[in-house]
Amino acid sequence: MLSDRPSLLLKITAIGGLLFLHLPILFIFLYAFTTEERTYQFPPPGLTLKWFAVAWNRADIWPPLYLSLKVAAIATVLAMILGTLAAAAMSRARFFGRDQLSLLIILPIALPGVITGMSLRSAFGIMDIPFSTWTIVLGHATFCIVIVYNNAVARMRRLSGGIMEASADLGANAFQTFRHVLLPNLGSALLAGGMLAFALSFDEVIVTTFTAGQQSTLPIWMLNELVRPRQRPVTNVVAIVVFAATFLPILIAYYLTRGGSETAGMGK
Amino acid sequence: MTPAVEFANVSRHFGPVKAVDGVDLTIVEGSFFAMLGPSGSGKTTCLRLISGFEKPTTGAIRIFGEDVSATPPHLRNVNTVFQDYALFPHMNVRDNVAYGLMVKGMGRARRHARAEEMLALVKLEGYGDRKPAQLSGGQRQRVALARALVNEPRVLLLDEPLGALDLKLREAMQDELKALQHKLGLTFVFVTHDQHEALSMADHLAVFNEGRIAQIGTPQDIYDRPATRFVADFVGSSNVLPPELTRALGGPAQWASLRPEATRLAQTGPVSGTVIALRYLGAGTRVVIRAGETEIAALVPAGQPVPPEGTTTAIAFDRNALHLMGTD
Repeated sequence: MLSDRPSLLLKITAIGGLLFLHLPILFIFLYAFTTEERTYQFPPPGLTLKWFAVAWNRADIWPPLYLSLKVAAIATVLAMILGTLAAAAMSRARFFGRDQLSLLIILPIALPGVITGMSLRSAFGIMDIPFSTWTIVLGHATFCIVIVYNNAVARMRRLSGGIMEASADLGANAFQTFRHVLLPNLGSALLAGGMLAFALSFDEVIVTTFTAGQQSTLPIWMLNELVRPRQRPVTNVVAIVVFAATFLPILIAYYLTRGGSETAGMGK
Repeated sequence: MTPAVEFANVSRHFGPVKAVDGVDLTIVEGSFFAMLGPSGSGKTTCLRLISGFEKPTTGAIRIFGEDVSATPPHLRNVNTVFQDYALFPHMNVRDNVAYGLMVKGMGRARRHARAEEMLALVKLEGYGDRKPAQLSGGQRQRVALARALVNEPRVLLLDEPLGALDLKLREAMQDELKALQHKLGLTFVFVTHDQHEALSMADHLAVFNEGRIAQIGTPQDIYDRPATRFVADFVGSSNVLPPELTRALGGPAQWASLRPEATRLAQTGPVSGTVIALRYLGAGTRVVIRAGETEIAALVPAGQPVPPEGTTTAIAFDRNALHLMGTD
């Protein structure tokens, strides 16, 4: 018999699964307030806010933070321009090899980060390109473009194809159609795509390790910090910052694309 | 007088597919012209050739004498009511209607005033602030109409404009469209696959089949004197008689059509058959008789005796009601 109400067992299992997934995040938050700085002892012997002040005053946190923000911002802008153009081309044109090309555009997100990272690193090596902010940006742009592209393509598919024709029919030239019809309808999808791209870039580790050289972004700084048994809770404070910096855009992206059949995210 | 729209041997081929093939067509200014045909017959492609969304592979299209074969859609003085209305979802009704004026650079106050006039014309006063999503199908249709008319096109194209509406609304809109066309004196060209709609609304129509025009004429021409079997089959409830039957009924050995209204039941006659179906239509009863391989429908006016199913009856008709056709 099918009933509208889920059974007790199902409820418990579901709640258990969600807790298993999300409880560790709470522990990250909890340990940002512990008084014990060398080991993650449970329960924490005491609670304090001092690590926030310590983190604020640690000079080594700021350069990675700036680098991460800079890389994420540039990669996002790049992805929004290229991803939108690619989506516009793919949804308008019908040409030989279109499906294959579409697969190639999406491929970087399916490809393991290690592969992307390795291939980029060897390409930079062959071409004698020294590691810089731009090599990291390039690495991140590979998957950021896909995110924007996917969002834009999904929105374009949902748009009634007729509205572009209706605009032309009513006397609008291509630029007016883009400005008055396409852009307003694509806007929220692009914004959502951009936010997700920013969030993904901001906490990316794998590709970054291959393309950063001696530079460290915030996630790489955190990784290095965890192996050092000094002022450990500082890492947790930074983790909260990273969490906020990535979770808020994703939340906004979710609300922007809600009510559609489109994929805002797609795991990476 | 220069015709509103003229096709001179126009073809539109998509690779091996001849969507439109050697069409010659003249649409007189001020007429309500229907393009009728089954899906894939080329009628919609013809409409898109007029609006400019398709370019002819060969041949020339003239609108009021001017060759527009190479003119892009936004520079043609024709507007379209799209099948799915294609309203701009992010704009309210007023801005939708005023769009054509906005892209021409008309100021906000003036174009909004014009939009309100158009909304009044289609009986949608007071709906200006709503979004398309808040309207019913019939209301969206009116907005699409107002939006297309705001540019004062010389030719209005309508692509299956009533297809998405329910029957009752469709009939009301048919009358309204007709009245509107009369009032504005514009040339309306509309595409439909509904023969009743085409016959009742248009003053001229072209019946399309496989990219070509099978017949062009007034509704009466087409209904009474279908040129081909295809037209007879598609347009009407006309009986299509094979050559043997035509000869048995006293005509030459050719395909012919015979309207049910002109067909009577008789006691004796050269052709008789079994009554296989009866359908009461209010004003009369449609009696279907099977004579050999052919089914012949006769309309028996109300008040006259109707033979029960299974009985044998002969058919009779006026000689001049038998219409001979070509064979394709």
